[in-house]
Amino acid sequence: MDEEPERAKRWEGGYERTWEVLKEDESGSLKATVEDILFQSKRKRMIESHGQVRLGMMRHLFVVIDTSRTMEDQDLKPNRLTATLKLMEYFVEEYFDQNPISQIGIITTKNKRAEKLTDLAGNPKKHTTALKKEVDTACVGEPSLYNSINLAMQTLKHMPGHTSREILIIFSSLTTCDPANIYELVKTLKALKIRVSVIGLSAEVRVCTVLTRETGGTYNVILDESHFRELLLHHVKPPPANSSSECSLIRMGFPQHIIASVSDQDAQPSFSMAHLDSTGDLNLSLGGYYCPQCRAKYTELPVECKVCGLTLVSAPHLARSFHHLFPLEAFQEIALAEHTGEGFCQACQGELKDKSVFTCSACKSVFCVECDLFIHDTLHCCPSCIHSQGPS
Amino acid sequence: MASEDEISLLVIVLDVNPIWWGQQAQREDEFTLSKCMDAVMVMANAHLVMSRTNKLAIIASHCQESHFLYPSKHWKAGDSCGDDSSSAGGDGKYEVLSVANKLISEEIRSLMARTEVKGHQTDTLMAGSLAKALCYIHRISKEIEGKVVIKAAEDCALQYMNFMNVIFAAQKQNVLIDACVLDSDSGLLQQMGLLLELCGIYLVSDLSCR
Repeated sequence: MDEEPERAKRWEGGYERTWEVLKEDESGSLKATVEDILFQSKRKRMIESHGQVRLGMMRHLFVVIDTSRTMEDQDLKPNRLTATLKLMEYFVEEYFDQNPISQIGIITTKNKRAEKLTDLAGNPKKHTTALKKEVDTACVGEPSLYNSINLAMQTLKHMPGHTSREILIIFSSLTTCDPANIYELVKTLKALKIRVSVIGLSAEVRVCTVLTRETGGTYNVILDESHFRELLLHHVKPPPANSSSECSLIRMGFPQHIIASVSDQDAQPSFSMAHLDSTGDLNLSLGGYYCPQCRAKYTELPVECKVCGLTLVSAPHLARSFHHLFPLEAFQEIALAEHTGEGFCQACQGELKDKSVFTCSACKSVFCVECDLFIHDTLHCCPSCIHSQGPS
Repeated sequence: MASEDEISLLVIVLDVNPIWWGQQAQREDEFTLSKCMDAVMVMANAHLVMSRTNKLAIIASHCQESHFLYPSKHWKAGDSCGDDSSSAGGDGKYEVLSVANKLISEEIRSLMARTEVKGHQTDTLMAGSLAKALCYIHRISKEIEGKVVIKAAEDCALQYMNFMNVIFAAQKQNVLIDACVLDSDSGLLQQMGLLLELCGIYLVSDLSCR
């Protein structure tokens, strides 16, 4: 199983003269170099797109959070557990923002056992409330990789073949306590096409390296909190789909939103089906979304109908996933001195003061650094291209 | 009332599609683009007067481009259009208002004069104007909230993808969008409002009572 050559570790390589990166200018100031480094780090997130790759849009992701004794360590402030849970809340929000038709489940592991915190669901609120409550738990014992992966696998193996099945483990301990051979489990994972990725909080652990390599996931160890955040954000984007996943036609329902007012004769208040098993606030509502197959009522989308099992989504949610398939091309960078046109950014009308400007290759309009970042991260369409292509 | 330090930015996206306005003028002589512009300027002035720190931007959305009517990019902060001081001191009006009004009317005059409408492109590019508005808001207000008001005439269904992208970006930035649709229903704006809880107000105005 381990015939692949291991990557050379950093201490095995040659000397790195890191002090040579910083260069002083004539007056002895490092300002230009520092600005350069900041600029490059801002642009670092323009990862080159994979091109024509099939992406897994409907994702079922289990996040395993290690709540063992090592999470009380204070190298992340105030302690590892609190920092991790806060970042997880942010991750859940971003995840559902970018993948609205996907689902997340959360598992915690401590005391050599694994427990499901929340089930696979498409509603971010449930997960964030559970995460907020988890801050108070005590961190004891040792984690168990085998048990947590097993628990996740029990649910994931029943998922339909066209969805992408993933497990993300946030692992802080250097040990694991397993009841059986984990390499057997790795074979099962490969057979079920489940992709496991690990984010380590302490150091690189060999069993995690093997686990991620065999299943096709990624393994990273954090340097500090902002690096942790960046690594989490890598997992928000949909991964390339497994070549062997079946592509089948998926049934989805697009319910209409019915608004009824009190003055309507036929309108009767009713419960939403999603609240049937919740003990929290039960609200009667007049209008809502009715499942086209079984007419069960729901107040929010996307949701899986509890009565007939149909996935209910709305068109904007699918539109949200669209930009992953056709990502906006990176703009070309030109130095300010070479730019001959107007001195104004065409998106925000601000003056172009940074040392380089960005041009869209399709419509040749000019943007400043801030607008370039905004366009690629949030907007996903070039404001000028929308104009020149007209209705298309 | 808002506290002294809060800056409120209002961006108005106005649809100046000449085809639609031309047809409108034929249907009903009373309501023309200039009347609409007057009404818009009243609202803009009201916003500027409410607090000293309020900011404003107006974008005109045309068939092939969207143009910032105010603030003009050629007008730097230090330049107070002081070469004709008659406008500033003329009638004792709040200076910001008189400058803004003058600038807006000049810009829209030049915009309508210089743009030629090519035959096949008759639909307004609302998504593009909204995208520019969002970039502007992103630049100006890193912490403060912005608000966009749209006065739209009719929908262009072919722009769905871009429109959706822009709406999601606005949602992420916590920008409220109020829509005022003249004379017809807009399914796109309605869908945006209902599903995304973004729309503050959705109005369909009846032109005869303007």
